[in-house]
Amino acid sequence: MSYVTIDQVTKGYENQVVLNDISIKLKKGEFATLLGQSGCGKSTLLRSIAGLEDVDLGRILIDGKDITNLSPRQREVGMVFQSYALFPNMSVFDNIAYGLKMKKVKDIKSRVKKMIDMVDLIGKEESYPHQLSGGQQQRVALARALVMEPKVLLLDEPLSALDAKIRKSLQKELKRIQKELDITTIFVTHDQEEAMTMSDRIFVMNKGQVVQSGSPSEIYTSPVNTFVAKFIGNYNVCDLEVFRKLVRSTEIKGNEVAIRPEVLQLVSVGQDSLDLQENWVIKGVIKDVSMIGNVLRYEVETEESAFLVDYLHHRGNMFEQGERVHILVPKKECIIL
Amino acid sequence: MKSSLTIHKVIVGLLVIYLLIPLVGTFLFSIAGKWDHTILPESYTMKWYIELFQDERFYDAFQRTLFLIVMTVGLSVVIMIPTIFIITVYFSKWEGLLQAAAMLPYGIPPIVGAVGLIKIYSDGPIQIAGTPWILIGAYFITILPFMYQGIRNSLRTVNAVQLVNAAELLGATKFQAFRTVVFPNITSGILVSTLLSVALLFSEFAFANLLVGGRFETLQIYLADKLNSSGHLTSAIVITYYSVILLLTGAVLKLTFRNEKKPVVSNKKRILSFHKNTTLEGEK
Repeated sequence: MSYVTIDQVTKGYENQVVLNDISIKLKKGEFATLLGQSGCGKSTLLRSIAGLEDVDLGRILIDGKDITNLSPRQREVGMVFQSYALFPNMSVFDNIAYGLKMKKVKDIKSRVKKMIDMVDLIGKEESYPHQLSGGQQQRVALARALVMEPKVLLLDEPLSALDAKIRKSLQKELKRIQKELDITTIFVTHDQEEAMTMSDRIFVMNKGQVVQSGSPSEIYTSPVNTFVAKFIGNYNVCDLEVFRKLVRSTEIKGNEVAIRPEVLQLVSVGQDSLDLQENWVIKGVIKDVSMIGNVLRYEVETEESAFLVDYLHHRGNMFEQGERVHILVPKKECIIL
Repeated sequence: MKSSLTIHKVIVGLLVIYLLIPLVGTFLFSIAGKWDHTILPESYTMKWYIELFQDERFYDAFQRTLFLIVMTVGLSVVIMIPTIFIITVYFSKWEGLLQAAAMLPYGIPPIVGAVGLIKIYSDGPIQIAGTPWILIGAYFITILPFMYQGIRNSLRTVNAVQLVNAAELLGATKFQAFRTVVFPNITSGILVSTLLSVALLFSEFAFANLLVGGRFETLQIYLADKLNSSGHLTSAIVITYYSVILLLTGAVLKLTFRNEKKPVVSNKKRILSFHKNTTLEGEK
């Protein structure tokens, strides 16, 4: 049985639908990500689970209990906000202890200490939020939510205000803590890379609907439509009419074809060892080369449209700007949408 | 770079002089004996102050003004903080209405307001025209814009909505959330509005004169009365109540400043008391 069930949840403001018949099921301990552009409804869905927004239709269940109409404090969910929402008048210790104090728990001190230890904030107990760095504030917010031992942890873009390096290390740490506590987590982000690294399951949202769900590799390698293909990777999405013309073939049917930039290969014109059995070949000219960290991205202009081709950057530039090339397109990597 | 800094200093200096001259002039006049054809007084005397401090009426007027201010500002704090909090956090669509209501006093001149108030409250169920209570009501409205802006801005600055959300998710009731995480963070903002209101009400004359006049002599009415007898004496009154406001403001600001400057100490105390509480609870 699923641990978290979101059953046909619908919500609208005035005459605009924000959540359109959303159904999601999560297993206990799963790390799920709601991924989408801003305005797609992902944060609203998260806030609905927290009880900070009402839903118009549908039910939300956690651990078999219908929480749809419960107040936030009765739901046993923890949440970390994008802007942390730490209490500025309280120290780190008091921030983390706040929920336990409200609940009138007995062993507050030891539980808070344990949490402080877990998020690596020893020595900062008496600091105030404004004396901490962004990353440290984030840890406090996380500890404050986790110390309550919530059934579900909700994370609303918790890392998006941090710089890249701290972000990467916090991603890892968040994942470690999540696994260690085996806590069911729903993470909201607009960053597909972050979603890929962290999630067990990704729900791609667009215009208030879940358009695709699956493991990161499923989502990445077999997008169901153009939106997912474009949003998830830097897929080359090409009109099939155009593509047929380029590869001079009529054997493929559909509307559009999506091809990942890293499955394409470039071969200099003149080399004649082309495997035409497995690949289509498109003629083109290198228009631009850009370096994205360890990846070299070639923009190749063809007769009809431009293609992006990614190479791992291990031997320096292999092709110069303006060079004429053949693009090898592996037939089995073409995804027909 | 250096010359531009000098220009800044000169401008600031001129501004300070411009603002201080009337005050210094008033002060000098309040301690002046003979002063008619010289730049500075020819002789100095404390007799105006002595005369003022020997006048029972002055103390009575001062007391009445203080009473009005404390009542009005107290009432405003007690009523407006919860109101504005509830509206901003839970009924944000009505915020425009509240804002419009709070800005109304700017649109109505005291004379028009006073005439209307006297008409309404001289008969009917609430007959308070001519009593200090009508003045408190009118003052409540007078300071509404300051109180509203101050409280609302503080709530926005601390992102009260999100703090309440966070507290509620951690198991606090709405009231607990307000008391423990919102209120402590907006006190300095409220304090500023309160001080502004106090200063404003100290020098309020129009409403006091029109609504109660001589029946409940406030400081400003006393001042106006003395204006006919001696300019020196009125200067002494003005300087006296300026000093009182200054002392009051200074004291309050110093208190808050000290609180903000030493959070670690107060924090230590809080943690200690907090630990004590928990161990006691544990022992039970």
